[in-house]
Amino acid sequence: MKLEMVKRYAQKELNGWWIVSIIGATVILLPILYVFLEIFQQPNENWFQIRVYLLKNYVTNTVILVLITGILTIFLGVTLAWLTSAYDFPLRNFFRWGLILPLAIPPYIASYTYRTMLSYTGVVQSTLRNQFDYQINPELFNFSSLRGATFIFTLFLYPYVYIIARAFLENQSSSYIESARLLGRKPTAVFIKVVLPLARPAIIGGAGLVTFEVLSDYGVTSYFGIHTITTAIFQTWFGMYDVDTAMRLAAWLMFIIIGVFILERLLRQRKRYHLSNKTKPLVPIKLKGLPRAGAFSYCFIVLSLGFIIPLFQLIAWAGMTFNKVWDIFFFTLLKQTISIAAISTLIIILVSTVIANVCRSKWAFSYMLSKVITSGYSIPGAIIAIGVLAVFIKLDKTLAPFYSYVGLGKAPLILSMSIVMLIVGYIIRFMATGYNAVEVGFEKIGTKYTEASRVLGHGVTKTFFRVELPLIKGALFSGFILTFVEICKELPLVLLLRPFNFETLATKTFQYAKDEMIHEAAIPSLMIIGISTMSVIVFHLIDKRVKK
Amino acid sequence: MRILEINGLTFSFAQAKEPVINDFTFSMNKGEIVGVLGQSGSGKSTLLRLIAGLEIPMKGTVKITGIPVVNEKLFIQPEDRSVGMVFQDYALFPHMTVKDNILFGLIRTNRNERKHRLKEMLELVHMEDYEKRYPHELSGGQQQRIALARALAPQPKVLLMDEPFSNLDADLKASIRLELRSILKKTGITCIMVTHDRNDVDSICDRSITMGSGNRISSKGKVLKNNTI
Repeated sequence: MKLEMVKRYAQKELNGWWIVSIIGATVILLPILYVFLEIFQQPNENWFQIRVYLLKNYVTNTVILVLITGILTIFLGVTLAWLTSAYDFPLRNFFRWGLILPLAIPPYIASYTYRTMLSYTGVVQSTLRNQFDYQINPELFNFSSLRGATFIFTLFLYPYVYIIARAFLENQSSSYIESARLLGRKPTAVFIKVVLPLARPAIIGGAGLVTFEVLSDYGVTSYFGIHTITTAIFQTWFGMYDVDTAMRLAAWLMFIIIGVFILERLLRQRKRYHLSNKTKPLVPIKLKGLPRAGAFSYCFIVLSLGFIIPLFQLIAWAGMTFNKVWDIFFFTLLKQTISIAAISTLIIILVSTVIANVCRSKWAFSYMLSKVITSGYSIPGAIIAIGVLAVFIKLDKTLAPFYSYVGLGKAPLILSMSIVMLIVGYIIRFMATGYNAVEVGFEKIGTKYTEASRVLGHGVTKTFFRVELPLIKGALFSGFILTFVEICKELPLVLLLRPFNFETLATKTFQYAKDEMIHEAAIPSLMIIGISTMSVIVFHLIDKRVKK
Repeated sequence: MRILEINGLTFSFAQAKEPVINDFTFSMNKGEIVGVLGQSGSGKSTLLRLIAGLEIPMKGTVKITGIPVVNEKLFIQPEDRSVGMVFQDYALFPHMTVKDNILFGLIRTNRNERKHRLKEMLELVHMEDYEKRYPHELSGGQQQRIALARALAPQPKVLLMDEPFSNLDADLKASIRLELRSILKKTGITCIMVTHDRNDVDSICDRSITMGSGNRISSKGKVLKNNTI
């Protein structure tokens, strides 16, 4: 009976779209599995060295960074979300979306901007010294430390918590907050007793994203000289050319990620946080006097530190180095960045659309497929890069007889030295960004138009092009922009997988900063910030449309 | 002539313990209009979706004009079944005009024939002046007419209507009921109409079947009623 059902399902569902989806899922899963399988291989001598002398330090630093950043981003994100959704004060509407802007500055750019600004010759100390004749203790501004890294991560990653917490507070909490107010509780008590516990899933969701970002980071930690598991992956690959040990470290990092996932699920378990089905917007209370000034100042300080100050500093530096950096090489850099991001994004949106369409069927297999396809986003770029690298090296080894047959030499590294490897890496890492946007588009239109078209005699493909595509093109566009921006910003993946001499805006910025050519790094940094601001604008427009 | 034959049809939702449609047997002759009555959740709409090929039955066969469209070895896709359907919320394509919506199902017809058929359909539902409008520019009753015209345009062998009046207010409903019967009879189409309102059945249908009190259709539990309209 069951077999008969499966056969009927297969007859109804299986088509070319499924085949493309399964190939896509295999490409995504293969490098990740490769990293996992490394655990079962015999480790080499380097691994023993790392395990005995270094691993403890790597893990400790990673855990400290994640914990402190997590706590601070929750504090900043939730308090700002609460202020902007529950209270009315000057420029509140501007702050509502303006406080997302720090997300447009990648933390690695922020780290070198702040370190230089706060250094002995930087604008802060030199102004205090020259204008006010005040000598500050340089230790206070020592940025090459865990303290500096947590400062940067907190200030530039808190919007993840802020966005999710604000959406929750604005749309789903009004009846609970109003009840608490009517029951005579003061604002602080309402916040602690009602808002915080209710917003727990939203807060955990946002903090989860921050954690994944911190675990993935290479730019900030390596610039500040902090040893984490991710920086160790780079060192073993670039320093020792030891892919096996790098993969073993990546597998360890993967276990931490899985731990975070399980923790996140456990923290949300068993409790219901949302009983009311009606979503009513929260009506903000008008603040007066000191609280009004306090709320405004708090938002203004965070926005200044997280966006305005570093942006103006970068603009000033860009002015100083414009003639030097703005040359033909820079345009090549820009062209390379945009074309590789556009190609990868196009493939991602194409594959996402095919798979999201297939996953609309109620088959259990399609649910699994959607999970596989989006798994890359929570996996740090370094792990994906190592997995892709290992798979491509293996592919080159397998294809060696073919290469020699066509006269390409004895055992050349054709695929693993090509740009294809980087594109595959991008696709795996950012498939989720594109997929989620496309999925939302499909969810919005539902299945009724598809069913109407099928009954009117059109097959799956024709229905897609004539009915579904015109209806989801908005979602495809936002998916394209969000993915494109993420790819332009990505650093660790491209550092590991780029072919020789291939530079993007991100790698060039990082290279300038590493070579202490901070002023020169300003123009590519501003370009990246400009591109990233596009995603903030898309977020804002989507939010506005939802509100309408 | 038998247009639709259903034999031993059984269907269950993924998580459900009991089948919503159990061993259902039923047939229809050419030109008949049959009403399907029953409470919410009794499987009325599911029956239409199974005939259209939008759901897969666990057991049983469906034949349209004597040709099997689903049995234990075969599953014909919805687009190849020659079935028309008017959805509960009409599902008119929002990015297409009335004209494009109606022409959408006319695939293997030449240009002149398509033009002729469009005119014929618009006349049938009295909407000749609306071909350039978009669905959101039409009232509920007008949308329903266009949905009917779109479903009838490709000349399906069976027309399935899923609660076609549920989106209309009471006054409009009464006037459209009689008109609908006359349109359906004019075209000579074989039609199954799902509704929860007995008045719909009394005004439009030749006969009706009712879901059993346990919300399960079965060949034993079905109530056949001959209406004289």
